[in-house]
Amino acid sequence: MRYDRKKDISPKYLLLALTIICVILMIVSFFAGEKVAFIKKYTNSIITPIQQGINKIGVWTDSKLENLKEIEELNCENDKLEKEIDGYKEQITIYQNKLAELEELRALYELDESYPEYNKTAAHVFAKDSTSWFSIFYIDKGTNDGMFVGANVMCHDGLAGIIIECYDDYSKVRAVIDDNSNISAKIMPSNALCTIEGNLNTYQNGVLVVKNIDKDAKITVGDKVVTSHISERFHQGLTVGYIAEITYDTNNLTITATITPAVDFNNISDVLIITDKKTEVD
Amino acid sequence: MRRIICLGFLIIINFTLQSTIFGFHDINCITPNLLLILTMSFGLMRGRKEGLLVGFFCGFMVDCFISGIMGPFMLLYMLIGYVNGFFHKNYMIEDVLLPLIVIIIDDIVFNFLVYIIYFLLHRRLELSDYFLNIMLPEALITSLLTVIIYKFYVLVNRYLKEKDRGKEAK
Repeated sequence: MRYDRKKDISPKYLLLALTIICVILMIVSFFAGEKVAFIKKYTNSIITPIQQGINKIGVWTDSKLENLKEIEELNCENDKLEKEIDGYKEQITIYQNKLAELEELRALYELDESYPEYNKTAAHVFAKDSTSWFSIFYIDKGTNDGMFVGANVMCHDGLAGIIIECYDDYSKVRAVIDDNSNISAKIMPSNALCTIEGNLNTYQNGVLVVKNIDKDAKITVGDKVVTSHISERFHQGLTVGYIAEITYDTNNLTITATITPAVDFNNISDVLIITDKKTEVD
Repeated sequence: MRRIICLGFLIIINFTLQSTIFGFHDINCITPNLLLILTMSFGLMRGRKEGLLVGFFCGFMVDCFISGIMGPFMLLYMLIGYVNGFFHKNYMIEDVLLPLIVIIIDDIVFNFLVYIIYFLLHRRLELSDYFLNIMLPEALITSLLTVIIYKFYVLVNRYLKEKDRGKEAK
């Protein structure tokens, strides 16, 4: 052991001192989170550029490897697809006609209002949480790009998460599958209100849990679940997933269902962030 | 001084790797706990004090990055580093079995405590599912990586020791 020198502190006392620091930090950040936010801010401002760099290298090598693998497959597929395209061209014209008709009808019914268009910006995901327990990821846009805490994050066509911490050039996003996530939603054709709970355990099987559905609601497997109008933080009408299974609760008042999320959380690299604030839309 | 810089560098590299490469494109996957390997290795090779300090700063990184409040991961990594320091007596350079056993126990204890703090108190009672789906795979992949990374740390430690000794001789 090398603690015999006079200037060294005994590990016992060091442990005690650092434990006290930890406990103080915990208490302070629990009751007054803003006071210690600067520590996070400065540490993260050193780490995030490195992470972004590593992520870029990762994306680059990933794409090169994929390219090599895919060239042959693609050649085969290309031949096949070219033949198919001819068939589709015909169909497209048919659909275009139908679409024009649909738009006319929608205008008649003024349906557009229920699907409002939001302003969006794109961002890259550059890091995720470093344990196996949480579903938190970081995106490379922050307050300088008009992000704010509570902004909804979309991926493809589905809701991916919400910004929970926002810094100058990056933000922290909690995915809807995170255990702490809780969203007010409704089930589409029947308009039944419900809450979607993220649950790490059920997500291992690829599903999320939907709770508190009224037992009289007419819902079927495959119904679309979207964010509801009563949610304070989420814009209405964003797709979260599709119902996979329905079970009646033992209290005989509510139904619990599981949904398959619309977003593939195993493959998130680019996301869209809605830059409108919820209150401004309403 | 050289040791401090070297360790700080290792902590940062390990942390960034853990949060980027291993979760590449996948938000919800099993991540090997590289920081735990680092804490364990230096606790084992250098004793309680260094394990404690390395653990403290590893936990500091994790806390800054994922947890809402500062502190819990710091405390966790720190305690693990400290406890691992007790095995310093049994440390031998060629020995691979001891770090392997220690890291498996460490990882399971670490994840079990995370489960209790963040999940059990949050009314998630299915311990067996969490154990099979998360703790066990993570312990396995972490211990596998330990075999490779630990050797590297031994080399780093030896290099630092020689430099220290060289300085004292002067």
